[in-house]
Amino acid sequence: MIAIKGYRHGLLIVFNGASETPWLTHLRELEAKLDATPHFFRGSSVAFDVKDARLNEEDLRHAIDVLRAREIKLWAVISQNAETCARVRSLGLADRLTSASAARPQEVVKDSTSLPGEAGDGLFVRRRIRSGQVLRHPGHIVIMGDVNPGAQVIAGGDIIVWGRLSGAAHAGALGNAQAVVCALEMSPTCVRIAEAVYIPRSLEHGQRRKRTAQMALLKDQEIIFTSWDVLTHKSRFERR
Amino acid sequence: MNIMPPLVSNGHAMNGQTPLEGRVITVTSGKGGVGKTTLTANVGTALAQLGHKVVVVDGDIGLRNLDLVMGLEHRIVYDIVDYVEGRCRLRQALIRDKRAAELFLLPAAQTRDKTAVNPQQMIQVCDELRKEFEFILIDSPAGIEQGFQNALAPADVVLVVINPEVSSVRDADRVIGLAESQGKTQIYLVINRVVPMRVKKQEMLSVDDITEVLSTEIIGIVPEDEAILSASNRGTPVVCNGKGPAALAYRDIARRLSGEQVPLAEPQSLGWWQRLFGKVS
Repeated sequence: MIAIKGYRHGLLIVFNGASETPWLTHLRELEAKLDATPHFFRGSSVAFDVKDARLNEEDLRHAIDVLRAREIKLWAVISQNAETCARVRSLGLADRLTSASAARPQEVVKDSTSLPGEAGDGLFVRRRIRSGQVLRHPGHIVIMGDVNPGAQVIAGGDIIVWGRLSGAAHAGALGNAQAVVCALEMSPTCVRIAEAVYIPRSLEHGQRRKRTAQMALLKDQEIIFTSWDVLTHKSRFERR
Repeated sequence: MNIMPPLVSNGHAMNGQTPLEGRVITVTSGKGGVGKTTLTANVGTALAQLGHKVVVVDGDIGLRNLDLVMGLEHRIVYDIVDYVEGRCRLRQALIRDKRAAELFLLPAAQTRDKTAVNPQQMIQVCDELRKEFEFILIDSPAGIEQGFQNALAPADVVLVVINPEVSSVRDADRVIGLAESQGKTQIYLVINRVVPMRVKKQEMLSVDDITEVLSTEIIGIVPEDEAILSASNRGTPVVCNGKGPAALAYRDIARRLSGEQVPLAEPQSLGWWQRLFGKVS
């Protein structure tokens, strides 16, 4: 059984009971999972938690290949098995979730579920997301700050931007069509919800989008924007 | 518009007795051609004119320019790569600029590329320089590859130079994000080549437009100035004898870096005279 967890700086794929089932079976399950929601994982770098499974070099190389074919990078494998850890190190991967080069991962979100919509955990970020930065989390993402053009926010659940959304946002990236994107100022370069894509028409030179709080949601396979009036729960649907 | 930049001085008194703990200021931009080298040469010279001990370091190995802009090309014997690879002492690689009391250039190698130095070595070089100088200015190459990483690694202060146009702002945003992820906290913006008339006509981004995207403290606004081109070609930074708008702006940046409170005013299309006579809008 595979679970995808998020912690502050990345994704962790947990292989529960990896020692009981053959490794290939796990990899097949992983492949199926990755292929079901390719947008969520593409371009990410992930860590494995293989529990006490004993993996040889070939097993690990196989896993790396499976990921590489989907533009995903494996950077760490944690395991309770000393032999697995040794193989991991010999392949030049980290065997713990603290790396000197990458920003150190902070608290691991205690429980996350791969079932979207039930994603109980959220990632709260209080800063500006700048061009080239990608925020990726299997649960919900709440950002206090702006999302600049060129930045990407990818969530398994909802995305809430307490600020201006000018970059790209993908809510429900693990397949949840109920997910929404909210922003105090909605001027994205691209909004995706589950499989649907919305790209706003380009503005005339000097023209500015209205500064209004809006919510993007999926209705009849199409992304629509409503004024986001959470306090009164009144939603006025409007097409853009 | 009146932004007061914070004091960025480390508070070290200038006396020859105690060993200095110089600050490393990296000048970078992401995008090329926005004026990093000119800014490094001018602000470095202006800091030295204020009486500080300054070294400017050319981080653009393989495409060195800083020596040209400062008019020191013909005096290069050793460069930073010679020092890192042990062919000379640091003192031998430093070129004294006679236009100020304590101004030195550490040139880049022209025959090598960015991989000739790594970030760790750059930190070591700067740690050596810190003992001798109050200000170490590094002219970063364009881009976000190794040359940039080398220049960023030792930085205490990051000066991000932009032109008032969208692609420059976008690249700066990326660079600021990278600097922040390296734990840099003192990041300041220099808006270069501003033409007030064109800002007014909305052909150029205004300071407010830029702040809205970058939300980074501004340490200087440098107007477009014809004097820059000929000064660069002559190898004499405009602050050496210039009284034009860019020279004034560079000097203001130097004063702010050395801890002085200098009010920052957005250039007005009619406001040069006001600026010259010290009236701040």
